[in-house]
Amino acid sequence: MAFDAKERDDLRRKFVEYARTQDPVLRTELVTAHMGLAEYLARRFTNRGEPLDDLVQVASLGLLKAVDRFDPDRGLEFSTYATPTIVGELKRHFRDKGWAVRVPRRVQELHLRLASVVSALSQELGRSPTIGEIAQAASVSEEDVLEAIEAGHAYRFTSLDAPSGSDDEATLASQLGRNDQALVDSEHRVDLSPLIARFPPRERTILHLRFFEGLTQSEIAGRLGISQMHVSRLLARSLAQLRSTAEQES
Amino acid sequence: MTEGEVRLEVPASPEFLRVARMMAAGVASRLGFTLEEVDDLRIAIDELCFCLVGRNGRPGTVALRYVMSSEGLTVEGAGRFGDGASDEPRLSPMSLHILKAVTDECTVDAGPDGPTFQLFKRRRS
Repeated sequence: MAFDAKERDDLRRKFVEYARTQDPVLRTELVTAHMGLAEYLARRFTNRGEPLDDLVQVASLGLLKAVDRFDPDRGLEFSTYATPTIVGELKRHFRDKGWAVRVPRRVQELHLRLASVVSALSQELGRSPTIGEIAQAASVSEEDVLEAIEAGHAYRFTSLDAPSGSDDEATLASQLGRNDQALVDSEHRVDLSPLIARFPPRERTILHLRFFEGLTQSEIAGRLGISQMHVSRLLARSLAQLRSTAEQES
Repeated sequence: MTEGEVRLEVPASPEFLRVARMMAAGVASRLGFTLEEVDDLRIAIDELCFCLVGRNGRPGTVALRYVMSSEGLTVEGAGRFGDGASDEPRLSPMSLHILKAVTDECTVDAGPDGPTFQLFKRRRS
């Protein structure tokens, strides 16, 4: 995260102004300017079996909190201030959402490898591949494939955090490109169950496209620019959260 | 091999209902289902088992029957609970919506001996 003197001055001015005005446009600019730091810190956690884009999302949540809480008058560099906040967020993510059952490293690694195998196969076949086709392409057994997929969904079933609140939304929304923002907006026009409305924009968009628009996971993956396996994981996690919330409220 | 059935009876707790879900994935894989179809099945089984036993499980068992045919896979589940709680399976509007999207047919009933469900997933490819 190296800024030249002019950029640093410019950011500093923006921080001062943001502290005064809480202007959401400035907030987005400040978050965007420091995304490199969030990505850098997220990368340090990639050997723990979680996809990088999940980690970057968690890190950017920490970044957003740091932007909101940073006091430019104290003379501290923002990156110095933000690093522990972002790392804290990443650590909390692993504490809260770590693999529920102990998943052997071999299986975790296969899970990560399958994401690209599935993408390549889907492209080649023009449809979702069968489990047999995935097994063949990855040179493993069908049971190995099923085990790896199951492991990817092995989030702790009972101790999931409630869907994140409005705090997270700006971060997630700012991560979505302009096209996706249009998606989020169109989805707002539909009268969604209040349960879904509590999810962050990306999860909400996925739930909406899958269950209300009837898009396939691959189609959703294409629209959001993430892998189908990732869509599958996010869906499984969101549905577990929905069930958890439904039970708490009944 | 596209005909036949697998039967499984598990304690009505989340850890074992996970086994029911994995069995569905295993059988569907044998039938040549695609990854997305398998995922749909897993979602459906999760949703239906939740409907029967809730998130924390109940004392009793769930008996599952996985019936394979050339058209696809039928999964039947029957809960046998002794906790005196209501056996009327309740599906939230959201659950119904989800199940409609991920199965071709799906019903839940309050059977004479306990709640039951049945789902059918067609193989498209």
